[in-house]
Amino acid sequence: MFAYVIRRVLQTIPVMALVALFVFSLLYISPGDPAAVIAGDQATPQDVERIRASLGLDRPYLVRFGTWLWAILHGDMGTSIFTNLPVTTMIAQRIEPTLSLMALTLVLAICIAVPMGVVAAWKQGTLIDRAVMGFAVLGFSVPVFVVGYLLAYVFALELDWLPVQGYTSLSNGVLPWLENLVLPAIALGGVYIALIARITRATMLEVLQQDYIRTARAKGAGQGSILFVHALKNAAVPIVTVIGIGIALLIGGAVVTESVFAIPGLGRLTVDAILRRDYPVIQGVVLLFSFVYVLVNLLIDLAYTLFDPRIRY
Amino acid sequence: MDRRTFLKTGVAAGGAGLLGGLPAPALSQGAASRTLRFVPQANLANFDPIWGTQYVVRNAAAMVWDTLYGFDEELRPQRQMVESEAVSADGLTWTFRLREGLKFHDGSPVLAKDAVASLTRWSARDPMGLMLKALQQELVAVDDRSFRWVLKKPYPKMLMALGKNSTPMAFIMPERIARTDPFQQINEYVGSGPMRFLRNEWVPGAKAVFERFADYQPRQEKASWLAGGKAVQIERVEWVIMPDPATAAAALQNGEIDWWENPITDLVPTLKRNRNIRADIADPLGNIGTFRMNHLTTPFNSLKARQAVMVALSQEDYMRALVGDDDKLWKPLPGYFTPGTPLYTEEGGEVLKGPRNFDLAKRLLAESGYKGEPVPCIVAQDQPITKSQGDVTADLLKRIGFNVDFVATDWGTTGQRRAMKNPVGQGGWSMFHSWHAGADCINPAVYTAIRASGDGAWFGWPKVPEVEAEVTNWFDATDLDGEKAAIRRLNKAAIENVVYAPTGFFLSYQAWRSNLSGIQKGPLPIFWGVTKS
Repeated sequence: MFAYVIRRVLQTIPVMALVALFVFSLLYISPGDPAAVIAGDQATPQDVERIRASLGLDRPYLVRFGTWLWAILHGDMGTSIFTNLPVTTMIAQRIEPTLSLMALTLVLAICIAVPMGVVAAWKQGTLIDRAVMGFAVLGFSVPVFVVGYLLAYVFALELDWLPVQGYTSLSNGVLPWLENLVLPAIALGGVYIALIARITRATMLEVLQQDYIRTARAKGAGQGSILFVHALKNAAVPIVTVIGIGIALLIGGAVVTESVFAIPGLGRLTVDAILRRDYPVIQGVVLLFSFVYVLVNLLIDLAYTLFDPRIRY
Repeated sequence: MDRRTFLKTGVAAGGAGLLGGLPAPALSQGAASRTLRFVPQANLANFDPIWGTQYVVRNAAAMVWDTLYGFDEELRPQRQMVESEAVSADGLTWTFRLREGLKFHDGSPVLAKDAVASLTRWSARDPMGLMLKALQQELVAVDDRSFRWVLKKPYPKMLMALGKNSTPMAFIMPERIARTDPFQQINEYVGSGPMRFLRNEWVPGAKAVFERFADYQPRQEKASWLAGGKAVQIERVEWVIMPDPATAAAALQNGEIDWWENPITDLVPTLKRNRNIRADIADPLGNIGTFRMNHLTTPFNSLKARQAVMVALSQEDYMRALVGDDDKLWKPLPGYFTPGTPLYTEEGGEVLKGPRNFDLAKRLLAESGYKGEPVPCIVAQDQPITKSQGDVTADLLKRIGFNVDFVATDWGTTGQRRAMKNPVGQGGWSMFHSWHAGADCINPAVYTAIRASGDGAWFGWPKVPEVEAEVTNWFDATDLDGEKAAIRRLNKAAIENVVYAPTGFFLSYQAWRSNLSGIQKGPLPIFWGVTKS
């Protein structure tokens, strides 16, 4: 397995190189000009041209790509065109809120969705099953920002239980941290809960038809034990796969959620950078997201061995 | 059940030990009243007011750096860091003396050499500064508190240049910082104004924090806009960046923020219904909506095609698309200068008044030789002002008979594309939409968009020698009557030649919690004089 992990880690290098080339090229050919944004609306074309030259944006594609790649290989993600801050500093400033939001969403989603899916499968065809599936359709259908606004309206404006916006670092205490993250995590988790609940139900339905489940029932195992020990463990592989794939959903959803709840995370950093054409920041964040995604997939692959001993690398 | 009760209940239910107990409020009652939370119009993405000329940078910089002169609410430049000035009889030599006791935020005194370096950097980027630079013979420090500016030709608008609030403003920085290339960003933020910028708390895109500078020496006169005593009553100002207007509105209603610079018009009625919130006009100088036609390419290289648009455009349509049905927020603008300011004129503006004439527009278009070529109309969709105007323009052009190529894009792309002088079909464009702050349209010195010098003019590159001649006449005028006469002729020539199309004058709101007092209407948010109970 160790050799497998090493091989997978090494495989990430060409993947990241391809991502780097793709991101850089895409930004190069996409329209937009950071110099024009910097110069402001009153600037003359000559001003814009001088700023462009000072930023090195007038240099040929290969020169720019080579310079950037060389810096990346030396661990330097560059400096933001606008803030003049290192990209690593900007990412470091923003990573905690995003990780917190994603972690809480993940925990909430798994804690809610997996039991929902299990119960729906167990009670197939009943009102409970239909309610769970109805909720799943709703979760898929209602956009994150709509859920976000509704939650903020009810729990912040009407009931005054929770704040509308912002983020408090975990270092300031668990409660203030939770206070700011509960609504965004619920808003962001809707789609995720729906996805996991559906896949859990479908997989559980299949597993519950297996002979060993019948055997477990025959030997007098309790319903809880059958569902959560015998069946769920064997249904776990596809569920874990979907949880991993869903990380991409979370990253995309975080962009909207962070805007709605004014959370200073990586999602907002990405959107701001794209709107301003802050190329080094966009490139840095996309590389980071790609790396995280590759890493998550590796962890998911490794997790398979925990649930299914037949899988060996 | 209110928030605190809810939290206490949560703690009781969850176990105080598990959750770490109810935290002490982040700010005590006293500290809360000394901290003002403000939502600015945009993200403070950089903090060099000479390098980056966005309004949001100017607004933050006005807290941190002081100027030699400042405009008051009558639009008159008043002494600010300057104690006195003298101009020689021939108008060529200006000598300025700084006030005593001025300090930078690092504790060092503000010296004449700092002012000289700051003005040198500023004059490389500002339109008025560039004129001064072209006339400059020398700019030198005479002693620690005095400096001299010797010109080759008199420049009667000197004090206006040094005190204007259009961007970039002539902020005074320490010499070592001001020596930075004006096309490169500064890296150190040592101010001369009433508030310090806390760089270590700056999270671009999220937060910027300013703290009262205890050693600042305000003038004794009453504060008026950027002039007079800038006495800050609040200890700490936190700029909270909120890209979503609905979130900002909810945060203001919930008391999580104190002041919102630019609530969108749709949300203002909701805010006004809340007894804890006040909403009023933000900037009496307002904004001027515009679209610019490309004078270099077909069809708008033809004067008749441009005039066809002018006789048909309805400013009311544009303004209602922008601000809705609140008639207090807009007025027609048959001219180019900001209403309510000394140089405002409607000379030549008849073409924009009265019923719109589509028959004449179609006739003019036919006479222009237009043969149905596509007309790329660039509309930034991420800016509500440009989006609203673009939709109206598309309809207007179609009704006249243009073959509209509606280019829906974002502001960043607009910024790049509008700089292209290529023909249509090779990346060129026919028109784009924008707007100008009224403060930038009070006279030709600060009004880049009215210039019509051809290649060197603003995007669209109008070439109208009569307009340029009147700009020169205005600069040379020594009294208000002379200035007004030049501007009347300028306005007429600009409308006749359609330098650009004004779509109307509009205002916007600001909103704040009722426990704030001292909020002023002005061209930028003014924090001195504001108190929080």
